[in-house]
Amino acid sequence: MYVYAMYLEIMILTGCTNRPFYHISVTHRRRLNSQPVIEQLGSYDPMPNINNEKLVALNLERLKYWLGQGAHVSNPVGELLGLSGFFPIHPRSYMAAWRNRRIERENMAKQLELAEKSETAA
Amino acid sequence: MSLLIRRFVPTKTCNVVLKQNEPAIVVISRRKLSIVPSMYDGERDPAPKFFSSYVQKLLKRLTRPDFSKVFRKRTNSGVPVLKTPTYKFLTSDELELEFSKARLKADKLLQMPPVVKVHQKIDEVLSQDPALVGYDTAKYLFTDITFGVANEHRLIIERDPDGFLRSCDHDVRKRLNQVYFPLKGRSIKEPLMFSDSEKFNNLLDREKYEFVLDRACVQYEPDEPNYQRVTSITYQHIDMNKKYDLLRSTRHFGPLAFYLTWHQSMDSLMLELLQSGAVREAVLLAALRYAIHSDIANGDVAHALTEEIFPSPVQLSKPEQLSEADIDLDNKCIEFVQKYIVSNSSMKSQQELALQGFREYYQQLVELSRGLQKAHGKV
Repeated sequence: MYVYAMYLEIMILTGCTNRPFYHISVTHRRRLNSQPVIEQLGSYDPMPNINNEKLVALNLERLKYWLGQGAHVSNPVGELLGLSGFFPIHPRSYMAAWRNRRIERENMAKQLELAEKSETAA
Repeated sequence: MSLLIRRFVPTKTCNVVLKQNEPAIVVISRRKLSIVPSMYDGERDPAPKFFSSYVQKLLKRLTRPDFSKVFRKRTNSGVPVLKTPTYKFLTSDELELEFSKARLKADKLLQMPPVVKVHQKIDEVLSQDPALVGYDTAKYLFTDITFGVANEHRLIIERDPDGFLRSCDHDVRKRLNQVYFPLKGRSIKEPLMFSDSEKFNNLLDREKYEFVLDRACVQYEPDEPNYQRVTSITYQHIDMNKKYDLLRSTRHFGPLAFYLTWHQSMDSLMLELLQSGAVREAVLLAALRYAIHSDIANGDVAHALTEEIFPSPVQLSKPEQLSEADIDLDNKCIEFVQKYIVSNSSMKSQQELALQGFREYYQQLVELSRGLQKAHGKV
């Protein structure tokens, strides 16, 4: 039914220049940026703090309520909910982890090659 | 380093030059040796003892609440203009009503900070997913900000870079609770007055005990190791310098007395009580020791005697006149304390001397008040 597809839980960029900060909100699907959201359910700070931590706040009670109303979850929010153990891990999280591991492996291999080359040159 | 110390605290150091085989300069600091904090972290849990109604009653009575100190003006922060006092004409019934209101208010102001065991480390793995290794180099901390959940029950978990989902430990929990639900007066970083030992010792040397303890109550939770470290050092400092009067009529006297009794070092407090002539409070202190450790020879009398003491009014100053009931009670108390000193005290000679002094003084007081009664023709 149409009414169930109306709501969407998304992250809304707030903050300012060079300082991203997100609100996790439930909104209408076709909300304009100038319009208010229906309800804010939490926040996400993507910049690691001094202890190398990223802080996420979630109002789980209201989140459950809106999911019960048939709200959809956007991909970035779904990833956060997966990491928090509230949802199953999002496939995109696995993909990101796998890609990061591959990049790291390649970098390591490159460094090894460079080291070998410099050794042979010397 | 020694030069530095000498520059900052020139009066507190002295130099000793030793001329032996090779010349060496030894700088001996006169600053007091650092106190070793002792926390409530043993097998025994102090909470059931501390919260039992009898011990609470004992501790509150030992506080010796003086209303002029309890209701003193401490700060005018937040109030732009001080209120002028109002004066009223009251009947004695209305006055009694006002007094009972004031007593309730004082009870609230003197509510003691709890004494509990140090908390255990939280080490709970909720799930682990090795496929998430490499997702991010930072930790993710998730806080459930559902309305109406108490700070200690809030769900706070972390996803580590190694793919583990864990419950957060107490320090992280406290930090995040302060981030999302800030308590007034508490800072996220530990204040310098606690973390910097130089500053902390300076405060103690200036005898700002109440300030330190109040600040510790705001900054820490009572089951935190840091809280217990700070308070334990403060209590020991007070005990060493015999500055108990600075904490009387404040909410911190009860935990101080409990701490000293729990760690079996309440004999200098007992001595101070005897020297100031508060023999009834000395009985209460001995009863407290019996309630906590039950290691006093005549402990079975203690409970009955304290029940007699509770209804009598708090003695803020030395009494000028005595009734026969008072004399009777005080004599019982003296006898009890005498037995305590003989069988259990660790400062026998000093306490005995103090008790002897009190006895002589008391004898004079008794004679005086009986003589007065006689002169008034009431006997």
